[in-house]
Amino acid sequence: MDKYLYENYALFGSAPEQNKGLTARARGILANPLHHYLLFGVVMLVVCFLSANKVLPYSLQSGLAITFAYSLASVGFCLLMGYSGLASLGTGGFMGIGCYSIHFVMTEAGLPFGVALVVALAIAIVLGLIVGVVSLRIEGIYLVILTLGLSEILRNLYIAVQDSIYLSTFKLFGITVPRSASGYVVTVLLVIVMMLTHNLIVSPTGRAMLAMKNSTAAAQAMGISLMKYRLLAFVICTVYAVLSGMMLMITIRSAMATDASGFYALITSLNILAAVIIGGFRSIWGAVFGTFIMYGLQTMLLNRIPFLQENPVIITFVSGILVVLVVMFYPGGMAQLVQEVRGKLRKSRAARREAKYGKD
Amino acid sequence: MAYLLNVILGTIVPMCVTALVTMAITIIFKTSSTTNFAQGVISAFGAYVVASGLNKLNLSIWLALPIGIVVAVAMAVAIDVLIFRRGRYVNALGKQIITMGLISIIVGAIPLIFGMQAPQFRTFVEGKLSFLVDGQDVTVTVNALVCLAITAVVLTALFLLLQFSKWGLSVRATASNEYVAGMLGINTHVITAISWGLAGALGTLAATMNGGINQVGVYFMTNYQVNAFLAGILGGFATFYGPVIAAFLIPLANNLVVYLANVMGKPELSSWSLVIVYGLALVIIFFKPQGLFGKRTVKKV
Repeated sequence: MDKYLYENYALFGSAPEQNKGLTARARGILANPLHHYLLFGVVMLVVCFLSANKVLPYSLQSGLAITFAYSLASVGFCLLMGYSGLASLGTGGFMGIGCYSIHFVMTEAGLPFGVALVVALAIAIVLGLIVGVVSLRIEGIYLVILTLGLSEILRNLYIAVQDSIYLSTFKLFGITVPRSASGYVVTVLLVIVMMLTHNLIVSPTGRAMLAMKNSTAAAQAMGISLMKYRLLAFVICTVYAVLSGMMLMITIRSAMATDASGFYALITSLNILAAVIIGGFRSIWGAVFGTFIMYGLQTMLLNRIPFLQENPVIITFVSGILVVLVVMFYPGGMAQLVQEVRGKLRKSRAARREAKYGKD
Repeated sequence: MAYLLNVILGTIVPMCVTALVTMAITIIFKTSSTTNFAQGVISAFGAYVVASGLNKLNLSIWLALPIGIVVAVAMAVAIDVLIFRRGRYVNALGKQIITMGLISIIVGAIPLIFGMQAPQFRTFVEGKLSFLVDGQDVTVTVNALVCLAITAVVLTALFLLLQFSKWGLSVRATASNEYVAGMLGINTHVITAISWGLAGALGTLAATMNGGINQVGVYFMTNYQVNAFLAGILGGFATFYGPVIAAFLIPLANNLVVYLANVMGKPELSSWSLVIVYGLALVIIFFKPQGLFGKRTVKKV
């Protein structure tokens, strides 16, 4: 029995041997990709904590919270574009649903966060289903424009209903969460969402979506229901976008619908798209990294440089150039870069081993 | 009746702006097979150049406009030559994303070049015309009529050229299949470059018209661009005239909704006008995915 167990452990690469070093054990834990997300979450929570207590610069935690809030939308978009091959420019409009449900349910009606969450998710699912059904009839560039139109409808709806919204106090499970502590909530949610998305991608659902992306006809021939997976992809993307809007509302606490550079303007949808492209559109880490480039870099690091603080437009300018260069010369994004570097390292390590021990 | 006439006459400038922007977007869509999301900011860039001509050099608008057009054309052609021609193997989505990157570049460049302050702008001509209908005043600005005349001349000339000139034939050939057109001896590089230049020129013209009635800003053409995209799929990108007709319909329908809301005694509905018009447009597109004037295409496997 013991022997059998041992063999099994050996198979999965994490035998509880006594003489195993700490690094080997750490490597064993990190062999599970889900643990990467947990580790990331813990590190970021510590950074948030240190920053809130002013050990690290104070602006760090708000920058992180904003980046992670937008990252939720990016991860959803990554799933939609990288795995299902569908593109949408509705992200900004969908994010507004989260913001407005928080305003109307929590600020106006005084109900708890859970109710706002349920309302927002219900609307998100309905909208996702509608867009999914539309995507069965209209494809490609036309679908992009259609979702853009839908997003504009939503934005004009927000302007017509109420232009300026706010959230004064945010309570989670009866505890008041101040603005400076919103980073914790956002980080925890992002880690959960990343893990769920990872599981989805490696599951048969993810494979089916990938098949659908490569060829709808071939996927259908293999018995994959286009309708089911397209609807699913859009529902998930919309739900993530709505969550992202809710988290932004918790982090920033107010929003304006008429603001041309605000949350639910066209520019947000474009920025999320650019973030996913820069990061590499088939990688969850890439999506988060790209969002950091688009949103976090400026508040967290570049604003420390006085020249850039005076001319924030230079960052917009450079990020635009970056997007164009990445698409033209590096279509896989940062994820491709990381993979290539990793491959080169592996090759050089193998070469070194060969030089040392000879060929096997 | 007089009120309805006033509403329709008040829509002239937005209709012209939307139609010109739609033409620009359609012509790029046909030749470079991408939706140019940067059309709005390229137009805004042209408007900023026109504004500097007006304010810094004290030129008249008839002199400043050509300068703006020349600069915008140069910029658009440069975008095509430097980026799109090299990115030939980038897929359709990649091309769209490049135009989105261009938005960031131009949005960043405008304040760097022209400063943060929103520029002053002028209409083509001052003055109003008034006449009586059923004993009530109907007013129209002379500027609106000038805009309408310019738009009519420009669009008519373009349609005639597209239909009857050799250039138009080359554009239509490139639109239908770039590789085959190239094989048949058409210089598709030149055709796409001209299209981009035209888009820059049309955009600047539209932005100058819009600058007369709205505050100029970096994003001040974005709403028109969104309208133009919707017009494009509402009319169907298969033809050149479909999008332009739809471009006239969208602002008109928008103001008609406002008119109906006021006539029915529910003025609070008027802020919902865009929601209603866009919603209607989307419903039409859902049932006619190829657009109002489009041709049904058969998908090959």
